[in-house]
Amino acid sequence: MNQVLIDDDACTGCKTCYRACFADVIRWDAEAKRPIIAYPEDCVHCNFCEISCKDEALKVVADWDLPYPPVLERGFPYTVGGPR
Amino acid sequence: MTDLSHLGRVEQADVVVIGGGIGGLVAAVAAKEKNPDADVLVVERATAGWAGQANKGAGIWWYLAPEDDPDTFVKFHCDHIGHYIEDQDLLGQFGRESLATIERVDGWTHKLQRRDGEIIHKRFKPFLPWSLTGMDLDLMRVLARHAKKLGVRFIDKTSLTDLLTDGGRVAGAVGFSLLDGSPLVVQAPAAIIATGGQSYRIMGMWSCQRGDGLGMAWRAGAEMRNAEWGPFAQLAGIRGKEPLIGAEDALYNAWHEKLSPRFRGELEADVCGMTSATWYKQMMAGNGPLVTFHPENWMLANTTEDVEGGTVWDRPVAVKFWTTLISRVRAADAPGAFLEVYPAVLGELSPIKVDHHMATTVPGLYACGNACYNGSGLPGAVPASPGRMRGAGLYGATFMGIRAGESAAAQVATGAAPQADAAQAEALVREALAPLERADGVPAMDLVKAVQYAVNPVGYSIYKSEERMTEALGIVEGLKERLPQVKAADAHYLVAAHDARNMALSAELFYRTALERKESRGWFIREDYPERDDTDWLKWINAARTADGGMRIWTDDVPVADYPFQPSAAQPAAERS
Repeated sequence: MNQVLIDDDACTGCKTCYRACFADVIRWDAEAKRPIIAYPEDCVHCNFCEISCKDEALKVVADWDLPYPPVLERGFPYTVGGPR
Repeated sequence: MTDLSHLGRVEQADVVVIGGGIGGLVAAVAAKEKNPDADVLVVERATAGWAGQANKGAGIWWYLAPEDDPDTFVKFHCDHIGHYIEDQDLLGQFGRESLATIERVDGWTHKLQRRDGEIIHKRFKPFLPWSLTGMDLDLMRVLARHAKKLGVRFIDKTSLTDLLTDGGRVAGAVGFSLLDGSPLVVQAPAAIIATGGQSYRIMGMWSCQRGDGLGMAWRAGAEMRNAEWGPFAQLAGIRGKEPLIGAEDALYNAWHEKLSPRFRGELEADVCGMTSATWYKQMMAGNGPLVTFHPENWMLANTTEDVEGGTVWDRPVAVKFWTTLISRVRAADAPGAFLEVYPAVLGELSPIKVDHHMATTVPGLYACGNACYNGSGLPGAVPASPGRMRGAGLYGATFMGIRAGESAAAQVATGAAPQADAAQAEALVREALAPLERADGVPAMDLVKAVQYAVNPVGYSIYKSEERMTEALGIVEGLKERLPQVKAADAHYLVAAHDARNMALSAELFYRTALERKESRGWFIREDYPERDDTDWLKWINAARTADGGMRIWTDDVPVADYPFQPSAAQPAAERS
């Protein structure tokens, strides 16, 4: 699974990462004024939250071995992704 | 106005723009400029100004510079890209209006890059009869701020699922909040679909395109056109899965045979469909895996600076975005000179049929951008923007967004006021939220993945045959039976439940129309009909929903005799120029 790591000390609660995430991975804790990584399974590592954070408080770590739908039909033994 | 307050939050607007990507924002601004008194509301599933494809692409804008000739462009497009399936009149307008259009966007955003007053521009390839310029990827936020300044209203984190109608006219839309699943009902006499097309959630970066606009237009009775040209695919590194520009020019099989000269001509505008077909045939013949050899990839060397560098155009956000992404992708992919590649399906189904004013066949309903790129007839035999014309995505959405916004604003000025039907609204809200109520059922993402299995294989959707497409359609038909049982744990997965429904519809629409076209033309490549057939297939394929929920398909002749350019007698097969 892709990960979005938050440096709580660096975060200033500006909410930019919440707005930047188009995949609804990041929700917002209004009380704590901090992002919640609510649906990391849907992160597509576009990195937009990370590059948009003026405080450099987020880092996206991609999982390159996520399952990928078949590229050849009928069970032809060829897979994309996973350890090579 | 019908009282619908018992259903939840109700908003009234003159124009509801569905989707806050570049097409939607441009449409909203254009509607306000045309009719400043119009109440324009943008509803976006993510956050307007951050959403959509525009800020995750190269930030490249296609246009015709003063030295580029519009007729030369249309002729080149017909011969090498659209293969005479274009609406040449619309394509000509697309070219002739491009400079004024990007200047208009610059008036809103001040993001065009100039030197001594001149727009900084270049050619993608020396022989292509058009120019490219660049804007930085924070353009969308600037555009959203400009729209707000004009009085456009926004509702974010809200997914609209279906349209309300009154006697066949648009009367609004219904949907729900992603944050808590609460319903939203919008009453509006005009709606603009700006949701992008359909990318089946396969390529991560484009997975904002989930066919929601296509689905709601279809269910409201809108006709579709040119659905058979999708999906687009481009070679990508096996692990990083990021499309690699120019890989098709330096493609080798496992026996060190260079394949590129065999399928790719000298005058290729851009990525060609024969690349994926060649990959498929080589793999099936036991000649895989296929690799690209970086030192021979002249396009990569020629374009990296445009996208990742800062010297052609000063674009700090784009540079940060691309250097972050590409450095990680390259680290994940093989670090050597050879890289194993596969055809990555990027999607791009865009079949909502629109006229030159971006009006759909449903009164009061308009569309723009990748929701209707192919449906407009503009690009011809190639999937949605950019298709094979880099930079046409941003410009195309803008060209269409302006027309859609102005058309909707003009309609509102006539004062027509359709009334939402309370029973219809109640039924659509109930249907939208139903997956939340099912304790037992099929998880939404299981169905999303099932559609991907029917669309992603190259032999199904790119290098096609009747046998393989029928097989894929069988998968779609099978999963359609499971759609009524889809369940969602919360509002986030409720979006996925609707994605599954719209993805299944998109796949069915694609395969049923693709089975009709019995030839190969441009991006559309069939193993069983390898030749282009100008006698029988200079046609547009249309589709519409029947009263019993089925699919009616028919063709219209492309009025090519009325257009400036006609095909010559001897034409090449498929993709070769």
